[in-house]
Amino acid sequence: MATEKRDKEEEEVKTDDGSLKIKPRPIVQLGIFLVAHSPVFSVVFSAAGVLALLILPLLAKNTYISENALMPGSARSMLSNRDVSDGSKLVKDIKNYRLNHEGQGVEVQKLIGKYMSEMGAEVYYQKFHPEGNQFHPLHFFSGPDSYTLLDNVSCASYGVNVAGIIRAPRGDGKESIVLVTPYDFINGGDYEALSLGITGTLFSLLARVTWLSKDIIWLVADSRYGDYRPVAAWLTEYHSPSFKDSDLLKCGELNTADKFRRAGTMAAALVLKVDGRSERFEDTLSIYAEASNGQMPNLDLINVVNYLAVHRQGFYVKVEKVVSLLSSSWLKIIGEIFEAVGKLAHTLNPDWNFGIPTADYLEGSATLASSLYSQALGIPTGPHGAFRDYQVDAITLKVSPRFPPDSKTRQHDFFLRGAKLLEGTIRSVNNLLEKFHQSFFLYLLTSPSKFISVGVYMIAFALLVASLPMVAASLYIDGCKALNNSTLNPAGNFKSWKWLDAAKQVFALHLFGLIVTLLPYFICQVPGQHSPSNRSIMWGTTSSSLLLITFATIPGCSPFSSRRHGTNWAVLKSVTISAAFIGLCLMSIINFATAEIGALLLVPTCLIVQPIKPALRSRRIKSLLGAFCSMVLLTIGFPVMLFAISKGLFGEGLVGLSLGGEFWTWLESLWAWKSATYLYIGMVHLPCWLLCLCILFHPS
Amino acid sequence: MKIVILVMLLCYSFAFSSGDTTIHTNNWAVLVCTSRFWFNYRHMANTLSLYRTVKRLGIPDERIILMLADDMACNARNEYPAQVFNNENHKLNLYGDNVEVDYRGYEVTVENFLRVLTGRHENAVPRSKRLLSDEGSHILLYMTGHGGDEFLKFQDAEELQSHDLADAVKQMKEKRRFKELMIMVDTCQAATLFNQLQSPGVLAIGSSLKGENSYSHHLDSDVGVSVVDRFTYYTLAFFERLNIYDNASLNSLFRSYDPKLLMSTAYYRTDLYQPHLAEVPVTNFFGSVMETIHTDSVYKAFSSKTSNNKINSEMPVNQLSEHDELQKANIPNDELKTEKQKCPYTQMRVDLHEKLEKFENVDTVVNLGIAVMVFVVMISSSLL
Repeated sequence: MATEKRDKEEEEVKTDDGSLKIKPRPIVQLGIFLVAHSPVFSVVFSAAGVLALLILPLLAKNTYISENALMPGSARSMLSNRDVSDGSKLVKDIKNYRLNHEGQGVEVQKLIGKYMSEMGAEVYYQKFHPEGNQFHPLHFFSGPDSYTLLDNVSCASYGVNVAGIIRAPRGDGKESIVLVTPYDFINGGDYEALSLGITGTLFSLLARVTWLSKDIIWLVADSRYGDYRPVAAWLTEYHSPSFKDSDLLKCGELNTADKFRRAGTMAAALVLKVDGRSERFEDTLSIYAEASNGQMPNLDLINVVNYLAVHRQGFYVKVEKVVSLLSSSWLKIIGEIFEAVGKLAHTLNPDWNFGIPTADYLEGSATLASSLYSQALGIPTGPHGAFRDYQVDAITLKVSPRFPPDSKTRQHDFFLRGAKLLEGTIRSVNNLLEKFHQSFFLYLLTSPSKFISVGVYMIAFALLVASLPMVAASLYIDGCKALNNSTLNPAGNFKSWKWLDAAKQVFALHLFGLIVTLLPYFICQVPGQHSPSNRSIMWGTTSSSLLLITFATIPGCSPFSSRRHGTNWAVLKSVTISAAFIGLCLMSIINFATAEIGALLLVPTCLIVQPIKPALRSRRIKSLLGAFCSMVLLTIGFPVMLFAISKGLFGEGLVGLSLGGEFWTWLESLWAWKSATYLYIGMVHLPCWLLCLCILFHPS
Repeated sequence: MKIVILVMLLCYSFAFSSGDTTIHTNNWAVLVCTSRFWFNYRHMANTLSLYRTVKRLGIPDERIILMLADDMACNARNEYPAQVFNNENHKLNLYGDNVEVDYRGYEVTVENFLRVLTGRHENAVPRSKRLLSDEGSHILLYMTGHGGDEFLKFQDAEELQSHDLADAVKQMKEKRRFKELMIMVDTCQAATLFNQLQSPGVLAIGSSLKGENSYSHHLDSDVGVSVVDRFTYYTLAFFERLNIYDNASLNSLFRSYDPKLLMSTAYYRTDLYQPHLAEVPVTNFFGSVMETIHTDSVYKAFSSKTSNNKINSEMPVNQLSEHDELQKANIPNDELKTEKQKCPYTQMRVDLHEKLEKFENVDTVVNLGIAVMVFVVMISSSLL
């Protein structure tokens, strides 16, 4: 739309040229100036956009507690040895039971339930069906409420969650804090049991404290079928009670009908996991925060946990990072350049302190890349993602102790410190009067204590896409001129309708993109078991044949059609760029990280692409180089190719032949998690990529 | 005739501008905590501490207006239910049995605060919620909460600005609701709240200058919040050393604030206040001790009072009998004052009135008067 507006302004000025000389307003003049010099500005803006992205780790600010009410660490911990021994006993009991008994029963759940009720909590069990996420195109953006319970469920496979609620002695019962410990009751290892120990210790304390203002729910999720599903199932039942008796309730010896209990709106949720042994000298705490579609919990929640873990309990806190970037030489060189510039600036003016050491820059970039990637993927990084669907702030804490799981002496200290961390966090959240709202929801992390807020990271994206409308406008003008020169038909008078032909083509290809996006649903409906590779082949063939049909049926759409029907390539490129611009801007609202990465790929491709035939004919080095660049960019831009490259980047081996299958699995995970990235790839990236291909092979 | 009118006017102006000459008769205290929420525990503790202090030093509950914006004692987050402490040693529960909160929770608004000061209440407001002071009152106004440049925040929703306060004080002065007023404010940038004050007889002290913060004194790690602010803490420390009979001067209070301990500069404004600070005992504002004047004769009007006194004297509490004595002393003071204040014009009128009273046959006097008037009219008309 911005493009069209600018076009209009441009036209008005042109018609005014001969007759009336009305001086346009300064903003219009600026627009004309930018459009007139669009090649220069587009290069400058795109380069600035990439530079702004690279400079982000330098602009990261230290996190701070924004909400006054939280007051982390101001209260002394009240944990006693008695609590720890309670927790240790629970772990011991579970281990002993597991050693002596084998099988599918719910005895371990009952053991935990007994422990909870001994502490004075209300205990209940919840059965759930392991299969939840099914791709349905109509349910894409709808909430989890639309997920209906299957009627004819079998008792063959189901999970059982245990949950205990401690009521706040003087609270109003309207709010609650949730603790989740995923535990596989059948195959759970020794490390996993430690998370039960920590939470058991904490639960023993919380059952007797007088300062609770929110109820505490401890959910032991049956992680036999993954961490996410049991939590999601529990949340669904918590928020949308079903009044119909499901067959599932009668399975097994445990009758769970009419037992489900609730405790007010959730203020925050903490998922605790213990896994593996720490590689460092200290116990390691990893924080996972990304939920579906790049949604993040409020930064204050991460701040509180980070503050307490670092300053009170002495954990080594980390967030995910792309390890391969740490050793990349080009990033190191960039870091060194920034460091040198920072030092130079510091000598010029001692107040300029933006330089950071190269090592810090590398760490920051690797974490930032991981943060961007996780958000862009749109798949939650842990069970906390299920809470975000209900607007509950939640994070997953993964603790790695520095001792082997059977060390009794160290275990006591570990339980104490883990429970103290959780106690401090819960006490802070308990102090809250409202939902988390003071701090940021839109941010990228560059370390557990550094963040980049939305106001800063938007600049990189804005600079990248800023060149698109300019180039579109100038191309349109060029295209119109060329059309006027070449064809002298009376239809040429309708100047403002020139773009209609091109728009038809762009629209057709976007429609094609939409169909391709929906195809997997129908492929999944094909009876019989198919491997992911077969399915991807099916998808590929149907898509290509559809593409051929599109080219054949809509005249002027194909790059191989005769020149007479074909539209002017400049106008086509102009409309393509406009479509890409609109698509990217829309996506930046839904999931910024996807739009940012998408813009990095799509913007250079769209800007650089030109018909290859004239370039080959002219045999000039400049145009040959341009053609080569656009070929390379287009090759990289193909989604499957992109997937392969990103796999290589993240250090996972490429298995050549099964690439199609892996791609299918990857996409399946995207739609299963309702990631908007899937829609972006299908409805923005793929059509624009195809259009660029059309321009490349345009017969002009 | 003009001279007479002039004399009359002069007399009236003397009678009304006599605030300075009125004698201090009673003490009032208005204690306000303006902030709610659990993390502002310390503001409530500040106010309750001061409440306890002024009560200890002799201001009775019925002359204290206590405004608390939130109920920390019964907050679910309070580890010690129904108790409020201002020190981490937990020796002193400020929320004991005899705390009378006059305005609580959402009643603590700027509107209600200004109504209390100016006395413009709705009819339904009970006497216990009104500031029933008079021209002989010394009032202590203590406020704590979150402030800024020329404002004090009420309840996170509205604010009291310095000119609102100055206006209210001016109205109080006009309505002769106080003899002397001491405003004590413990907020950030407290000094700015006094900028607009103009009324005489006002003494103001704030915890910090413009651009300075007022800090909390210490954190109670059992309760999990800061329990008292520095300025109030050191004010209390000063008063803890005093008893009801001490003669410590305001000057010694003001000099006791150490900017290093306070981490801010206590500011006091004395340009509206005439007495010399070194000569004014702190109990003029923080207590209710006044000069007792012994009189020779017992007033008849007091016969009922004395019988009351007997009952009171049986009570073990010192404070009460003290208070009664004071009241006894107040009344003669008032008599003396009116004696002193009589001007010649009123004296003349009273004399005339008394003479008129002495006439027994008023009717004849009136008839005679009319006859004389008729006579005078006839003469004057005949002359013309």
